[in-house]
Amino acid sequence: MTDPAPETGPRGTGPFDPPGIEWTHVSPRLVTARLLSTGITLAVPAVGVIVLLVLFPHWWQWLVLGVLALLGLWAAVLVPRQVRAIGYAERDDDLLIRQGIMFRTLVVVPYGRMQYVDVQAGPLARRLRIATVQLHTASASTDATIDGLEPAEAERLRDRLASRGEARLAGL
Amino acid sequence: MNDAPATEDLVWHRVHPVTPLVRGWTVIAVLLVVVGQQTLNGLPEGENLLEGDRWWMILLGILAVGLVGLGYSALAWRMTSYAVDDESVHLRTGVLFRQQRRARLDRLQAVDVVQPLLARFFGLAELKLEVAGGADSGVKLGFLKEAEANRLRNDLLARAAGLRVGRERPAGAPAATAGVADAAVGEPDGAVPTGSSASAPLAPEAPEQPVTAVGPGRLVASLLRSGATVGLVLGILAIAGVVVGTREIGVLFSALPAVLGFGGYLFSRFTGEFGFRSAISPDGIRLRHGLLETRSQTIPPGRVQAVRLRQGPFWRGPDWWRVDVNVAGYGLSTDGGTDTKSVLLPVGTRDEALAALWLVLPDLGTPDPRALLDEGLSGLDAGEHFVVSPRRARLLDPLSWRRNGFTVTDRALVLRGGRVFRSLVVVPHERTQSLGLEQGPLQRRFDVATFAVHSTPGPIAPKAAHLDSADAARLLDTQAARAREARAHAGPELWMRRDDVPLGERA
Repeated sequence: MTDPAPETGPRGTGPFDPPGIEWTHVSPRLVTARLLSTGITLAVPAVGVIVLLVLFPHWWQWLVLGVLALLGLWAAVLVPRQVRAIGYAERDDDLLIRQGIMFRTLVVVPYGRMQYVDVQAGPLARRLRIATVQLHTASASTDATIDGLEPAEAERLRDRLASRGEARLAGL
Repeated sequence: MNDAPATEDLVWHRVHPVTPLVRGWTVIAVLLVVVGQQTLNGLPEGENLLEGDRWWMILLGILAVGLVGLGYSALAWRMTSYAVDDESVHLRTGVLFRQQRRARLDRLQAVDVVQPLLARFFGLAELKLEVAGGADSGVKLGFLKEAEANRLRNDLLARAAGLRVGRERPAGAPAATAGVADAAVGEPDGAVPTGSSASAPLAPEAPEQPVTAVGPGRLVASLLRSGATVGLVLGILAIAGVVVGTREIGVLFSALPAVLGFGGYLFSRFTGEFGFRSAISPDGIRLRHGLLETRSQTIPPGRVQAVRLRQGPFWRGPDWWRVDVNVAGYGLSTDGGTDTKSVLLPVGTRDEALAALWLVLPDLGTPDPRALLDEGLSGLDAGEHFVVSPRRARLLDPLSWRRNGFTVTDRALVLRGGRVFRSLVVVPHERTQSLGLEQGPLQRRFDVATFAVHSTPGPIAPKAAHLDSADAARLLDTQAARAREARAHAGPELWMRRDDVPLGERA
């Protein structure tokens, strides 16, 4: 958890910050969405353990609760920074997506290589008015997902990517 | 282009009537295996499944299931038909749920003629057309008479190449007739229409130039020098040791399956890669191999997405290499490990391996390709061509930090890696799907990053590990530009429809 580098890093330095790129960031409501889903995932076992604790108290149940609480705390610290680290940039011929703090990734997807674009929003995401845009190329290893976009921005991006893809369409 | 001919205009063909038999027998084979396994498993406990009157009941059951299977296959055969037009192949299948599939010929990634063992007895073959649509997206036409399958393959390849082929009339386009005459001379076993079936499409088989053949001796030697053999021998020795040491024969039964796994792997490698021959033709790369099930593959030009040359530790002595490819339609093997479709050369000397690479990329775009490739195959540290991991990466990757590296030519990106299992991956610039950069916390501490090229599903995942961050960033940037440039100048999907290639050159 020691992470000396700030989320965005100094401008134009490091391999994950190519010079001259203006990153667009995603909606801060994604923090709420991710924290809520993490919270639910942690709350289900926590409730189970608490029920057990009431019925058959034992010392290890406290341990489990403690671990769950630590995980929750960790998520609360990490998730906002993770969300702030997500960025994308539309260049003339390709889309750049940057993710992660500890494990960083940067993906460059040429528009001409796009096979299709997915826009998804689950019930929680819809309530929070965010959507996910995913780009698919012919490669299964292309992990080009932008989470937490405003619905209008997601639609704009989808249409824009689709039209750019068509203009630069190539075979495989 | 959008004025697709109405489906009513198509001439629909049925596949060969023996198809249900060839397909249906697998059901019986599976049943026999299951019964056999159950019987064998029961034997140690003194229960014989085939004891008394039970054996004929089981036999009757197998027969009944076989008959039902055969009936269903026959029904399925009746409902299966295919048709070919200038732009696509149509296939209608399904008994209850009807399906009509249309595969566009300009999206064709590879054409395979496959003959399973039983089909060979009947002289039948299955035609597999691969398109880049993920798992199970291809079109399988089977079974057809062998000559018919070959003829159809040539016809489809000619159409996919953009040549107009005379159809349903013996004197077709001039190019096609000339081709038939030439092919008759050059290809005695080729697909010259023998009978005068009027509906048979006419297309000559493109002449081919043999490149490499792998003899059975070399194949066996290569398999003996593989990790699986080492595993097999060690496993047998271990079992023998335990049995002798503990004097309990039961260990044999529990440990045998694991050992047999290695044996099965070696066996499937042997049968799959037996009699391997590669050739080059205007239709692309031709590969033929197989002992029990034979497969004859055609990969049209520009369909290979990435090439990998690989050498394990036991192949170092004779300097043998294995060449794999990524082809969009083939995807990853589903039967785990023994992928015989994506192999361009199962085993060969360095020269043969480089010849296989040449099949894919005749021009590497560098003045001295041999020196560059030699450095890529067996070189260590930065040399004349390769940019490698910095010295500080040795703590992250103590074995292969001196091998990890990349170089760029005018036509392709060349990635090198692996100390024990040496590998060299070549990705043509125009075949780049997307690019990626990864960095974990440790890598950041050492200021290195891993660069990846995303290729279509297949055995190869091109990667250059632990490059200097600045090198990786520069490579990402310039490679994106190079890939864009190369795509803009890439050849057409219909590979024969080029101004500089006259039609007659194909025949």
